[in-house]
Amino acid sequence: MSSYHDPQTSDRPYKDPTPLSGDVPHVKELGVTSAPLKSAAFFIGAYCKDYNEDFMLCKNENRDPEHCLKEGRRVTRCAQDLITKMRENCLKDFDKHWNCLELNNQEYYMCRKPERALNKCMFEKLGLVKTIPGAPEGQTPVHELKNPVYTGVQK
Amino acid sequence: MEYRQLRLRYTLSGLEGIVASTSMTVQYRQDMPPAGGFEAVKYKRNLPFRGPSGLVILGGVTAVCAYGFYRLGKGNLEKRELEREKTWSRIHLVPLLLAEGDRDAYRREQAAIAREKEIMKDVKGWEAGKSVYNNPKYRPADSIVVL
Repeated sequence: MSSYHDPQTSDRPYKDPTPLSGDVPHVKELGVTSAPLKSAAFFIGAYCKDYNEDFMLCKNENRDPEHCLKEGRRVTRCAQDLITKMRENCLKDFDKHWNCLELNNQEYYMCRKPERALNKCMFEKLGLVKTIPGAPEGQTPVHELKNPVYTGVQK
Repeated sequence: MEYRQLRLRYTLSGLEGIVASTSMTVQYRQDMPPAGGFEAVKYKRNLPFRGPSGLVILGGVTAVCAYGFYRLGKGNLEKRELEREKTWSRIHLVPLLLAEGDRDAYRREQAAIAREKEIMKDVKGWEAGKSVYNNPKYRPADSIVVL
C-alpha cells in the first residue's frame, strides 16, 4: 500500500526499485563521478559530437523522456567507449588529472600540468584535441597559456 | 656686600697691571691667520640624505600601479576565458547526464503507470497515465508517490 508523500518534505528518499521494462534495450550506466567526467568533458565533446548533437536535437523536438531513449543510449555508449579508451591508453595521466581536479575544487586552472600531459597523451594515442568553442581567434587558448595570471599558489 | 667689595678690588689691581706693562717694552706677536689661510666658512646646509626625491617616489608608484592595472586587465580577460572553458566543459556533459536522467525518469513513469493500472483496474474507462490537460505536450508529473 502506498500513500502520497510530498517529495520535498519526505523523510524517505525517492526510490523506485521497479526495473526498466524488458522491451527497452539495456545500457550500462556510465557510473563515473564528477571529477573524471570533468577531466574527460572536452574529449567526450570531441569524440561523441555527432551523438550528442543528435540527442540534443531530438530533445529539442520533444521533452518527453520516452522520445529520445534511443539517442540517449547512443550517447551513453559513446561516452562509455571513450572512457574505456582513455583508461586503456592514458590511464596514468587521466588518473593524475582527475585526482588533481578532485583536490582543487574541480578548477581547470589549478591543474594545468597534469592536464597538459593528458591532452598530449590523448592527442598522440586517440587523436583528440581539446578545443574551447567561441574562444577568441588568433590567441593562445586559455589551457595552453605559458604564463597565466590565474594559477594555483604552487605552480 | 662682601662680594661687591671683592670685585672692586680685583678690577683695581688689574688696572694697575696694565699701567705697569705699558711703561715697559714687551715683545709681542701680531695675531695672523693660520698658514694656508682660514678654511672656507661653512654656510651651506649640510643635511643627511633623506631618501629618494618626491619625483622618483611618484614615478615609482605610478609604475607599480600601471603594472598592476596591466595585470588586472590581463587577468580579467583570462578569467573570461576560464569561465568559457568551465561552461563548455558542462555543456559537453549535458547530453550524457540528461540521457541517464531520462532513462531513470522513464523507468519511474512506467512503474507509476503500471501501479495506477493495477489500482484502477476495476474502474471502467480509466486510462492510466492520461494527462488531465487536453494538450499533447509533455509535462513531468506534478506529484510522485514515494513508496
